[in-house]
Amino acid sequence: MRAAQALPPRGRLREVALRQSYAFALVLLLAAAAANYVLQPNFFNPAVLGGNLMTYLPLLLLAAGQTVVVIGGGIDLSLGAILSLSNVLIVSTLGESPDASRILLAVAAGLLGGVLAGAVNGACVAYLRFQPIVTTFATSFVFSGLALYVMPSPGGSVPQGLLSAYQSDPLGLPMVFWAAVLVLLLWGLLRSTRYGVYLYATGGDQLSAFVSGVPVSPVKLASYCIAGLMAALAGLAMTLSTSTGDPLIGEPLILSSIVAVVIGGTRLSGGQGGVFGTILGVIVLGLFQSIVSFMGVPSWWQTLINGLIVVVALAGPGLLGLLRGRRP
Amino acid sequence: MPGEVSLSARNLAKRYGGVVALADASLEVSSGEVVALMGANGSGKSTLGKIITGAVVPDSGTLLLGGEEVRFSSPHAARKAGIAAVYQELSLIPDMTVAENIWLAHEPLSRGLVRRRERRERTARLLELFRGVVGPRLEPGALVSGLSPGERQIVEILKALSAGPRIMILDEATASLDGEQVARLFELVLGWKEEGMAVIFVSHRMEEIFRIADRAVVLRSGRTVGEARLESTTEEELISLMIEGGIAERHIEHPAGPPGEERPLLSAEELRAPGVHGVSLELARGEILGLGGLQGQGQPELLRALFGALPYSGRILLGGREARLSHPRQAMREGIAFVPGDRGREGLLQVRSILENLMLPSWRRYGRLLNVKRARRDAERIAGELGIVMGSLDDPVSTLSGGNAQKVVLGKWLLRGPQILLLDDPTKGVDVGAKGELYAMLGDLRKKGVSVLLYSSDDEELLGLCDRVLVMRDGRVRKELKSPELTRSALVSASVGSGGEG
Repeated sequence: MRAAQALPPRGRLREVALRQSYAFALVLLLAAAAANYVLQPNFFNPAVLGGNLMTYLPLLLLAAGQTVVVIGGGIDLSLGAILSLSNVLIVSTLGESPDASRILLAVAAGLLGGVLAGAVNGACVAYLRFQPIVTTFATSFVFSGLALYVMPSPGGSVPQGLLSAYQSDPLGLPMVFWAAVLVLLLWGLLRSTRYGVYLYATGGDQLSAFVSGVPVSPVKLASYCIAGLMAALAGLAMTLSTSTGDPLIGEPLILSSIVAVVIGGTRLSGGQGGVFGTILGVIVLGLFQSIVSFMGVPSWWQTLINGLIVVVALAGPGLLGLLRGRRP
Repeated sequence: MPGEVSLSARNLAKRYGGVVALADASLEVSSGEVVALMGANGSGKSTLGKIITGAVVPDSGTLLLGGEEVRFSSPHAARKAGIAAVYQELSLIPDMTVAENIWLAHEPLSRGLVRRRERRERTARLLELFRGVVGPRLEPGALVSGLSPGERQIVEILKALSAGPRIMILDEATASLDGEQVARLFELVLGWKEEGMAVIFVSHRMEEIFRIADRAVVLRSGRTVGEARLESTTEEELISLMIEGGIAERHIEHPAGPPGEERPLLSAEELRAPGVHGVSLELARGEILGLGGLQGQGQPELLRALFGALPYSGRILLGGREARLSHPRQAMREGIAFVPGDRGREGLLQVRSILENLMLPSWRRYGRLLNVKRARRDAERIAGELGIVMGSLDDPVSTLSGGNAQKVVLGKWLLRGPQILLLDDPTKGVDVGAKGELYAMLGDLRKKGVSVLLYSSDDEELLGLCDRVLVMRDGRVRKELKSPELTRSALVSASVGSGGEG
């Protein structure tokens, strides 16, 4: 008989713990929160905190979408451009003083644009077998171009009613909290469907998944569509938070979305991770930003650190291997 | 005896390019029967298995399921028809749990959601089948990446079983199981037989075949050459069916007498590496030493370890002096060259020129500011010696045929004037003409005193080229065969594990 091993605790929690390490995110989160508290003792005042984090609602939605693509074994560099595209689609459809049906139409246009853009990415990657990084880098210029075509320069406006609804605090909690809860619920639902299993299987080992009967290509296509939809929702949030249309507003968020995914413990090579970690990652980024702006250091520090985090995450497995004396 | 299910494969053929994998294979199996599919290396066993499970589409021939012709376009389609397979190359996803893997693509659902608890319970019930022969680590929530090869194999078996198949193909499914686990598997197979399942058992192990199978079907060079009921046949009879008649063709004339009187040029003592479990060997100057045995018995790993490309333990001696080879660069400095089997991936830069490929390991000798003129002259010389058919040295390697590409791989190492040449299945996918030239060249090298360690999946090649052959099984050398006893039947018997253990 084999040596008996100490049996670890059973169940969901353990499954999650085996798959994903939140340790990195939690350490960063605590450190960043402590630093914020030292620098700015009223930081944890709900109003201040809420206001701070509201800025991160678009990023939260964007990064959640990115997580889905990354778990499926891909990556989407065009999500920032899709965000911009949906932003200008919404604002330009709204026009001056829109009525309720006009508003619905505008939102629908924005979301549809996002899903279609995602479908283009997904079709290229899943059916034409293009490299995800190159494909979505290229399509990001296509979508940016489209956004510039729809609205060549920043402008437009959003009805005051919508803006105040977005800024409201249902049950005393800011909208960003409710968004996070909703995203997590939807994610939990997705994880519980067969699609959720397929997504992890496809990202984990495409060939094994295929011979096991997983429809690999449709699964990938859908992951990009979901990411496109999330980017479009992020575009909607962005519209409500800036109250204008700007064809270039999404671009700077793309690196942050990947950093949040990485901090959250989702592996960039796919098949592992989850949206909860990504949300922690977004909060960490928000706290970093607040430190940077409070200390008055130049904002390129934040970009530098974001870049370093991605590099370390990419190099991580290789470095660990080197430390263990294994060669690839 | 006709049962509830019957599968009949008739006259199946499959070729890959110019290589015939299956020429005319037939196989029948019906409910309540275990059929062993046997054959030497390259006889087409796995191709036949893959056609039945839909992983490979045949060029011709028919597949009848219950008397009706079927054509499977994917493994999924075959599984829907009740055919499941356990392969040696596993189909598990490491970062998913045992339960998720077993039920992948047929999860228990209710209203679109996966019923986790039910999946877990069903998995636990399946795991019960192997209770007592696996450790407690193997439970529904365990990640596959944390399991041993044997445990993964069991998960793979349960995965095939979970589909409730009527026909089960076990392709080398016992390879990484221990004795108790094999015994349990065989008990289960007997149970499946009772329940009316038809089982195709692909194995090389005679002992297992006699234990479990009712009938054996023997393939040779892609043809079904014989069939026997196991209660009325012997190992010897089966082996003689697996072997071609006639005498193997010698490709090289060997001078009489032992090749090297002096101490061995290369020797290994108790070498261990992933897949290699304690191998000792001695290679004399000017000797061609073959590594034989079934595929996947650790031969490529052994070659890689000797080239410093795999971490190893044990000792490697070069000319009697211990060498520590922790990187291919060190092995290269010691005069060792390695020609990998998968030349597209490891041996060549496909889009770069022939010149660059030939020179890649040797640039160091052409100065800091590269003396390209001299390099080109040397490259032309070696290309001429090897008879590489090409447009010009500047053409990309991707324009060459398989045989010529393989010559480039060989040429780039010969330019360094190696003392020891490690060859990993060098003629796989190479046409007959190029094979002949390669053989002739190995003969020349041998005359010049170069030592060659050759692994080949083609037994004929080993018989035709080697001074001695070490037959490997499960990462160990089981038998050493020298000239009088170096015959087809000895090679096959030693590979499948009948006869004396060495």
